[in-house]
Amino acid sequence: MPSRTILSGLAAAALFLTACGEDKVATYRVPKEKEPELPMAAAADAGTPGDQAAGAPMADTSVPTASGADLAWEAPASWKAKPASAMRKASYSVAADAGESDLSVTAFPGDVGGELANVNRWRGQVGLSLLRADDLDSAVSRVESNGLKITIVELFPPGDPGAKSILGAIVPFGGSTWFFKLMGPEASVKASKPAFIGFLHTVKAP
Amino acid sequence: MPPLIRQVRNLFVSLRLTVVLLALSIILVFWATLGQVNLGVWGVQQRFFHSFFVFVRLGEFRFPVFPGGYLIGGLLLVNLVSAHAYRFRMGWRKSGIWITHAGLILLLVGELVSGLVQQDFQMRLDEGETRNYSESIRLNELAIIDATDPKFDDVVAIPESMLANGTVVQSPKLPFRVVPREYYPNSTVTLRSKTPNAPPSPATQGMGPMLAAVPAEVSYQDDLRNNPAAFVELVGPEGSLGTWIVHTLLGNPQEFNYAGRTWKLFLRPVRHYSPYSITLEKFSHDIYPGTDIPKNFSSKVRINPPEGGDGREVLIYMNNPLRYAGLTYYQASFDPSTDRTTILQVVRNPSWLAPYIACGAIALGLVIQFLIHLAEFARGRRRA
Repeated sequence: MPSRTILSGLAAAALFLTACGEDKVATYRVPKEKEPELPMAAAADAGTPGDQAAGAPMADTSVPTASGADLAWEAPASWKAKPASAMRKASYSVAADAGESDLSVTAFPGDVGGELANVNRWRGQVGLSLLRADDLDSAVSRVESNGLKITIVELFPPGDPGAKSILGAIVPFGGSTWFFKLMGPEASVKASKPAFIGFLHTVKAP
Repeated sequence: MPPLIRQVRNLFVSLRLTVVLLALSIILVFWATLGQVNLGVWGVQQRFFHSFFVFVRLGEFRFPVFPGGYLIGGLLLVNLVSAHAYRFRMGWRKSGIWITHAGLILLLVGELVSGLVQQDFQMRLDEGETRNYSESIRLNELAIIDATDPKFDDVVAIPESMLANGTVVQSPKLPFRVVPREYYPNSTVTLRSKTPNAPPSPATQGMGPMLAAVPAEVSYQDDLRNNPAAFVELVGPEGSLGTWIVHTLLGNPQEFNYAGRTWKLFLRPVRHYSPYSITLEKFSHDIYPGTDIPKNFSSKVRINPPEGGDGREVLIYMNNPLRYAGLTYYQASFDPSTDRTTILQVVRNPSWLAPYIACGAIALGLVIQFLIHLAEFARGRRRA
């Protein structure tokens, strides 16, 4: 009965067809994705008097922000841009499984009191004791990316996993100092750390 | 027929084989149910059911110790089809059994096709956002993107499994070879300066030199995602261009210039592009008053067809998915931190109707067979 043999043979072949799935390299062309909107345009002149009406109610601030050339960056698509204020060059909501953190980008003329003063300002915000100048180098990491010298500060208060923590970066550029500060609950900030480091790597001079 | 072939045929058509296979499948289901505690649903599916053998690791080696779902299901299929071809006789009195068995065969084939071709993706949309792709929940790919054209991206997507196997990729679309040097199925990344004991990084370009990738245990939990890392070397005709680290946790592609073109390297979830796009117009999340218990969540989306035009609006909510262009969009989850972000599960399963038809056929066959027996019984009583 050849037809019966063929029928059984087909059924057996179906069994072994299951081994045929194989991974392949795919190539395709897609329209460019729209980059996540950066609130740079609105924030670019945050320090100039004419823009103050567009800012938050705090717009009438006496703190001058840097008004020279702006740094540029690419934020991950999952970060949500928030409206910039007169103080902030940009602002993002950074969501992780463990909760949400806030990323602020600010820039001020000069060295704003120096690295130690600013690291201690951040330490104060998360309830850590102040550092002495001798301890500064061991408390920060220094990297160079896109020709910019970046000082990275990690501030996680011990003992309380829910405590406010800061992952920050200080970038001197064009006579100003730029601050990138990711602040939120420890678990959330820790989970967003790789994305933050990746983000820092995209920061570059225009 | 030669005696050996006859013996094999007799084995395949025997009812004894059916009983043994059914017994094995009971043991397999029981074992897999226990395994679900550690492996999760997806891990169990892969290890026990979407495999020919269940492997157990002893030291360095993996040994097949039990037939897997594909082998048992496949042999049951062969057994059933062969039995029909050689043993069963066509006739009205057996028509119910024939229909029931046809339903069983459809069920087995449908499950096989589902296992082979079903794909699960996820689409995450913020209110107002439009996307023309969904992303795999578990599989990743290394996307090498030629971003030179201001309007288009030319993408070469290399599956994660090829990075894992160390397969060298030479694509006609790339002016360099891609050589995977190291691969970790799950890992974390830390700043190198914070990890003084980290071994020297194989990476020489991009972010790699300032990062240390630390391998982590692979997770099979449903709610945890593995974060693979790889070090890939790009080799052009005149030699190595350098080695990059790629990691799913780095939210951005790494950019470099080569051969007068701008390239981007990005390890990301596998993307499935559609010719149409979907816009989230509104996400609604209702809770019972005075509690945090969700009452209903729904996504009002607009499908934008490739030919342009206004498209159409659809409301996706629990148990009311959108079926469009061979894909099914289910309301799966949302981002509780914003309440403005929906997460849709996107499933491609061309054989989704098979189990419904199969179960209908099995039920119909059983009813017919019962009625035939009932009629014969009644006739027998009347005669007596």
